[in-house]
Amino acid sequence: MAEASARYAPAAEKPRPRVRNFDVRRLPGFGAVAIFTFVMLYAPILILVVFSFNAAPSQATWGGFSLQWYEAAFNNRQVREVSIRSLWLALVASGIATTVATLAALGTTRVRRFPGQTMIYALINQPLMVPEIVTGVALLIFFAAIKVQTGYTGMGYLVAAHTAFCIPFAYLPIRARLETMDITLERAAADLYASPFQAFRHVTLPLLVPGIMAGFMLGFVISLDAVVITEFVKSAGQDTLPTYMLGQLRRNITPEMNAIATLFLALSLCIVTAFFLLTRKRG
Amino acid sequence: MKDTRNPPEIEIARLGKVFGTGAAAFRALSDIDLTIAQGEFFTLLGPSGCGKTTLLRVIAGFEQPSDGSLRINGQEVAGKGPNARPVNTVFQNYALFPHMSVAQNIGFGLKMLGRAKSEIDATVDEMLALVQMAHLADRKPAEISGGQQQRVALARALAPRPRVLLLDEPLSALDLKLRKGMQSELKRLQGETGITFVFVTHDQEEALTMSDRIAVMSDGRILQTGTPHEIYHAPRERFVADFIGDTNFLQVEVAEADGTAAQVTLPGGARHLARLPAGLRPGAGARVTVVIRPEQAQLVAPGQGVLAATVERSVFFGTDTHVHLVLDGGTPFVLRRQNSGALPEPAPGSTVGLTLAEGALQVVGD
Repeated sequence: MAEASARYAPAAEKPRPRVRNFDVRRLPGFGAVAIFTFVMLYAPILILVVFSFNAAPSQATWGGFSLQWYEAAFNNRQVREVSIRSLWLALVASGIATTVATLAALGTTRVRRFPGQTMIYALINQPLMVPEIVTGVALLIFFAAIKVQTGYTGMGYLVAAHTAFCIPFAYLPIRARLETMDITLERAAADLYASPFQAFRHVTLPLLVPGIMAGFMLGFVISLDAVVITEFVKSAGQDTLPTYMLGQLRRNITPEMNAIATLFLALSLCIVTAFFLLTRKRG
Repeated sequence: MKDTRNPPEIEIARLGKVFGTGAAAFRALSDIDLTIAQGEFFTLLGPSGCGKTTLLRVIAGFEQPSDGSLRINGQEVAGKGPNARPVNTVFQNYALFPHMSVAQNIGFGLKMLGRAKSEIDATVDEMLALVQMAHLADRKPAEISGGQQQRVALARALAPRPRVLLLDEPLSALDLKLRKGMQSELKRLQGETGITFVFVTHDQEEALTMSDRIAVMSDGRILQTGTPHEIYHAPRERFVADFIGDTNFLQVEVAEADGTAAQVTLPGGARHLARLPAGLRPGAGARVTVVIRPEQAQLVAPGQGVLAATVERSVFFGTDTHVHLVLDGGTPFVLRRQNSGALPEPAPGSTVGLTLAEGALQVVGD
């Protein structure tokens, strides 16, 4: 009886409206703040894109539609050169970073827990925590010492710096994928006579591919975008697209920069979209 | 018993398993001695946490024993990995490879063994037919039902023709009707393949209906090994009797005892014969616990029979009715009556007598 009355009592005193869950959308001014935020986020980009098609060489007055700045950008030998360098660097650095990150993710999830494991996470994710400018200065000094000792001034420094910088971005999605993967699948493979390598090759790796692809693309975008580190590490004649644009903007701002930035934006959007599609599928 | 007819398949001697070290050490298995015969359907039965799954994983090779020996078909396998043992597992969650088709899943073991493609294809077809899944060979695991996934998991484990098939609560995720179907399916498959089955379950009914022999486990130990009949009718310990089926426990006094049986004095003074488990030799005058199964007592008129009781309530179960009683002296007692005739339900509060079937009393250790 006591149980029954306890169960029915709250129902009896319930003429009050039901307590609704906290919903931020009901707060006063929510709509205004949201609109302001979206305008601030996307209006500058929109203006940048619009003025890349401006016939007049101005960022303020519209002189009609034209593709002349795209033509100028394509015909600019320097732009082509730094674009290719940027893409090459992003490809190589994120490729190495993804390989290293995959091994690191396997080494931190598919092993018995060991002392210092949390510390290893922190060490791998260093670039996420240390300000980029600090890393940049440190690399500048460190690489300067190596340059003096060896005389080597090639792209190796940029590759090394970008790779280290990309590793955590590649590591996080791969590790997330490994952690949510059912470990009994690997046990089942071993049970069905697969050697540890065969189990990895036939079961773990195919299931890890979306994570690896996501990691690679994140790393690629991050490398393409890395301006601070590149600025500190690059030797003469090693400008990437972002550092080149920065250099140009210091002199005169023409809509040619808008055109380059718009193309850059389109490329990034393609990669991010592919990333979303890949992680959603099979996810 | 089967293991005297067939040569042994699995021989486990003084096997133990400890997880962790130092203060955090946890002993999951102690002193496991077990021989499973070739072609036997053997069940490890016990509540969750009793160590049955750990023992299965030790046999599979996912865990290595801390001490003792484990031989499969005469070969010591302790220290060997799961890929070096002639044993396959049906996992509780099936663990089908999601990126492979049903046919590729079934062929995986043979592929890893390096068999020729023609042989793999032939065996996969045979297995698909065996579990009636041929029409779904090209589907992915996510595209078939739970019961079908179960069949694929079975076919995948049977395809390499292991000496032993390990089944880790494979039916627990299925609904009741599907489970009943799979139980007879498993028995059929075992009969057709002749493979030794080691089956883990916490479901005592499943264990009783399917097994040739059962080992009842608790706290990392095997309490009793025997046929379903022996486990049910001749439990050696209170835990075993309590875990298998519904049971009444009664405190009685031993009047006289010989090797296998004792005359005991029931509450109320009547004498009755009780069977003794091996190794238990109580002297005259000792207080012991006896087990009485609910179906082995019958209601009679008050004043008759060997026990007197008061009716508390009756619970109708369709095929039978459970009558809850309180014996004179206060011990609760449940009696099961088959609803074959139109027996009147005894009124709550009425006094009744009880008679007991001839072999109803079994003395158990506490």
